[in-house]
Amino acid sequence: MKKFMLITVTFILIGSFFWSGCQKSAGLQMVQYPVKDDPTVSFRLWFKVGSMNDPVGKEGLAALTANMITRGATQKHSLEEITDLLYPMAAGINNQVDKEMTIIYGRTHKDNLKDYYAILKEVVMEPAFKEEDFERIKTNTLNYLEKTLRYADDEELGKEVLSEFVYIGTTYQHIEEGYISGIKNITLDDVKSFYRKLYTRGNLVIGLGGGYDTAFAEQVKKDFSQLPPGASKEVPKPKVSPIDGMEIRIVEKDANATAISFGFPIDVLRGEKDYYALAIANSWLGEHRNSSSHLYQVIRETRGLNYGDYSYIEHFPNGGRRQFPPPNVARRQQMFQIWIRPVPNYAKMFAFRAALRELQKLVDNGMSEDDFQLTKKFLNNYVLHYAPTTMMKLGYAMDDVFYGIQGNHLKKFQQMLNQLTLEDVNAAIKKHLQYRNLKVVFVTNDAETLKDRLINNLPSPIRYDTPKPKAVLAEDHEIANYPLHVKAEHVKILKLDSLFE
Amino acid sequence: MKNILLFFVILFIAGMVVADNSGNGFFPYSYEKYNLPNGFTAYLIPVEGSGLVAYYSVVRTGSRDEWEPGKSGFAHFFEHMMFRGTKKYPGSVYDRMVTEMGADANAYTTDDYTCFHMVAPSHDLEKVMELESDRFQNLDYDEKAFKTESGAVYGEYRKGRVNPYAVLEEELQNTAFDKHTYKHTTIGFERDIKNMPNMYAYSKSFFKRYYRPENVVLMIVGDFSIPQAKELVQKYYGDWKPGYVAPKITPEPKQQGERVKEVKYSGRTLPILWIAYKGDAFDPANKMIAAADLLGDLAFGQNSEIYKKLVLREQKVQFIGSYFPYNRDPGLLNIYCMVKDENDIPYVKQEINTTVEKFRKELVKQTELDKLKKRVRYAFLMKLETPDDIAGNLARFVALTGGIDEINTLFDNIQAVTPQDVRAAAQKYFQKKHRTVITLKGEK
Repeated sequence: MKKFMLITVTFILIGSFFWSGCQKSAGLQMVQYPVKDDPTVSFRLWFKVGSMNDPVGKEGLAALTANMITRGATQKHSLEEITDLLYPMAAGINNQVDKEMTIIYGRTHKDNLKDYYAILKEVVMEPAFKEEDFERIKTNTLNYLEKTLRYADDEELGKEVLSEFVYIGTTYQHIEEGYISGIKNITLDDVKSFYRKLYTRGNLVIGLGGGYDTAFAEQVKKDFSQLPPGASKEVPKPKVSPIDGMEIRIVEKDANATAISFGFPIDVLRGEKDYYALAIANSWLGEHRNSSSHLYQVIRETRGLNYGDYSYIEHFPNGGRRQFPPPNVARRQQMFQIWIRPVPNYAKMFAFRAALRELQKLVDNGMSEDDFQLTKKFLNNYVLHYAPTTMMKLGYAMDDVFYGIQGNHLKKFQQMLNQLTLEDVNAAIKKHLQYRNLKVVFVTNDAETLKDRLINNLPSPIRYDTPKPKAVLAEDHEIANYPLHVKAEHVKILKLDSLFE
Repeated sequence: MKNILLFFVILFIAGMVVADNSGNGFFPYSYEKYNLPNGFTAYLIPVEGSGLVAYYSVVRTGSRDEWEPGKSGFAHFFEHMMFRGTKKYPGSVYDRMVTEMGADANAYTTDDYTCFHMVAPSHDLEKVMELESDRFQNLDYDEKAFKTESGAVYGEYRKGRVNPYAVLEEELQNTAFDKHTYKHTTIGFERDIKNMPNMYAYSKSFFKRYYRPENVVLMIVGDFSIPQAKELVQKYYGDWKPGYVAPKITPEPKQQGERVKEVKYSGRTLPILWIAYKGDAFDPANKMIAAADLLGDLAFGQNSEIYKKLVLREQKVQFIGSYFPYNRDPGLLNIYCMVKDENDIPYVKQEINTTVEKFRKELVKQTELDKLKKRVRYAFLMKLETPDDIAGNLARFVALTGGIDEINTLFDNIQAVTPQDVRAAAQKYFQKKHRTVITLKGEK
C-alpha cells in the first residue's frame, strides 16, 4: 500500500518563476498532493466561477459552459475522437459546478499520463464550442429540469426548492443547472464569451495529486499559464434575507409519500472555531446517513416512519447517493438544514413536528456530557473516512485554500475535537441555531389540507400498525401537539410545473 | 437497492480481477484463505498503510433465495433486521459501539447476495469481529422491533418508487421470468412489503436457514496481521453451528418467444427503451461469459458505433448503454436507452436490432477488442486504492463463486477472448425468442 505523503500546498507565481515569457502579474495557484507510490495521477482544475456568475436571464450558463468543455469537441478533436482516445485508459474528464466553484477533474493511470494530460489540456484550453454539442447538452439539461428533477426524485426536488427559497433574491438562488427559461435564452456566443472572460489563469487553481514528479508539475503550471491573464471581479457574498417566523412552501405533487426539508442561513464557515463546535452538535443531531443520528433514532429507528433523517451545517449535494461530504462545493454562505426522507402522507405533519421538536430541545438544552463525549470519540475516527483517496484528499486541500485554512481541515477537525469543551459546543448551538425562523418545504399531495392544518396548528396524532412502548406513545402525544406558529400569508402552494421555470 | 450504474461499475471491475494468492500476479496483493471445520471461509488480504480495516461479511443469499410465495423482498428486509442486535449487544449498544469506533458501517442487498460492510480503525479489529460474529450467530429481536423496521423498509420502497427505473425494473423482471425468483426485484413486490409486519415467525426461520457459516464468506482487507486475524476468526466464528438449508428455486424454463410490454410511469419522463436477453449463470471458467461481458461494451458502450450515431451524431437518444451482470443463475443481458422523441422509438429499436445482427454476423475489429481489454485492465488497476475499494469490488465475485480463487481463471478468459468468441457470444445470447422488450412512457 502506498504511503501517503504529507500534503504540500504551493502557491507559485508562475509568471516570474518558471516561464520568463509570461507576464509577471500572472499569478497561478497550485495545490499539490504528491503520493509517491500512487499508480495514478489526479487532476482537479478549479476555476473560481460558479452559478453565481450566471447573468440574470441566462441562469445555467456556468454549468452549460463547463459541460461544453468536458462533453464537447476541441479544436483538434471531435467528441467521438476524444472518447476513443480516453476509452482504453479507462479515464474520463468530468466537471462539477456549484455556486462558487467549477472543477474540471479526472484521473489516469501513470502509464497513460502523457496521453491523458495532452487531452485534458486540450479540452480545457482549446474547446471548439460546436453547435451540435451545444444542442445536445442543452436538451439534456432541459430534460433533467423538466422531467427528472420534477418527477423522479422528490428528495432532491425538496432540497432544491428549499435552497432557492432560503437564498431568494441572491446570486445563490437558482439551481446550478439553471432555470428552464435561462437555458433556453443562452446562445452559443454566450458560452464562448463566458469562457473567454472567466476561464482565465487568474481564476484558476490547479490541483494535482498522486504519483507524478516535480518536472511534470512544472510542465502543468507552464502549460496552463498560457490561459488568458486576469481574474474576474469577485461576486459579493450573497446577502440573505431574514426569515420571518415559519415560512412554508408546499410543492403539490400526486405522491404516496412526503419529502420534507427545512432550514435557515447560518454565519459559520469551515475553519472557524464555531464551525467545529457546531459540527459536533450537528453530528449528534443528524450525522448524514448514519444510525448515530439522533433524528434517525427518533423518527426511523423508534417509529419506523421513514428511511432516515439527517442534518447539515454545510452544503451536501446528492445526499441520497453518497455517504460522505464531497469536496469543492465550498461556499461563503451556508445554511443549516434538516432532511426528512419521505414519510407516509399521513405522517407528514407529525414527522415535521418531531424533527422541529428535537431541534428545539437541542437549542434549549444543549448537548449532554455523555452525548458530547460519544460524538467526539465518533468523529475523531469517522473524519478519516471523508477523504480516503488521493482525489478526495486533493479536493479537501483545495477547499482549505477556499476557506483560508492553514494546514489541513480534517487534521484541524481532530485537533479541535480535543480542544473544544461542552460549553463551547452549547454556546455555538445557542449562537447559531434556532427554531423560530425557518423556511420549510414539503413535497406532497393534498397541499390545501396541509396548509390549513399548518396555519391552524391542528394536532397531528400518529397511528401505527405495530404496538409501541408507553414512553413512545407519551412522547407522541407531545409531538402531535407541538405548537406551530404559522401565518396564512407565509404558506404558498407551488405547482410542480412552475418550478425552475 | 442496487444502483444500476454503480452496480455496473462494480461488476465490471469485480469481473476483471485476477487473483494470485502470492501477490505476484495481476492482483497486487497476497492473500490467505482460511477455512474453519464448520464451513466458514475467511479471505485475509493485508494491505498496509491506511490504519484501517475493511470488514466485509458476504451472505450468499439475496432476493434470488426468496422462493416461497409472498416472501419477495425478505432478504433485504432481513438485512435491516441484522442491525437490531443480540442479547449481549442489543441494537442500541451495537450502535453505540460502532459509533465509538467511528466506523463506517452499512449493508446492502442484491439479487444474489447480502453484504454487511464496515471500515474501522485497525486497532478495533477484534471489537469489530466480536460484534459482527455475535449478530450473525445470536441475532435477537422481538416482534415489536420487527414490525417497526418494516415501516423503514416500506419507506425505502416509497422513496425509490418515484424513480421511473424502479417501475421499469419491476415490470422487466416480472415479464422476463415465469418461474425463477428473479421474477421479482430485490426490494420486492409492494403487496409483500405491506405484509412484512406479519412475518415475524418466518423471519426467524429465514435467519436459521441462511445465516449459517457455510453460506457466509468474510473478507478482511487492510492493516492487520494474518496470524492475529486467523486466531480471531477461530475464536469468534469457530463455534458457529452449520445448518444451511438451500432454497428450493425453480429453474426458469427456456423462453420460447419474444415478450413485449409497455409500462406507464405516473410522472414525466422521456421514454425509456429496455431490451433484455436471457443469459447464463456465471461461471468464471466459461469463456462465453467473458465474451458476453466484452460484447455488451463493444456493441453498446460509450465508444460503440451505435452510441456515436444515436447519442452524438443524430441525437435521437439521451444515452444508450448495456448492463450484462454476472448472476448466480441465468439472468438478463440488458440494453437500455432514453429516447428523446416518442416517435423515434421504432427507429431506435431498429438501430439496436441492426447492431445486434451485425455482431451476430460480423467479427469485431481486433483493434477495438484490444482497446477494451486495455480499458478493463486500467479500470481494475485504478479501482484498488483503498481497503474498502478492494473488498467492495470483490464482493459479488465472492458471492457468486464462494471465494476469490477463480478470479485468475476469469481474467485469463477475458484476455483470451477473440473476435470469433465475441461473435459466438452474440449468436448464443442475442436471440429474438429469448428477448424481452419493455418501453416505459410517462403519463403526463
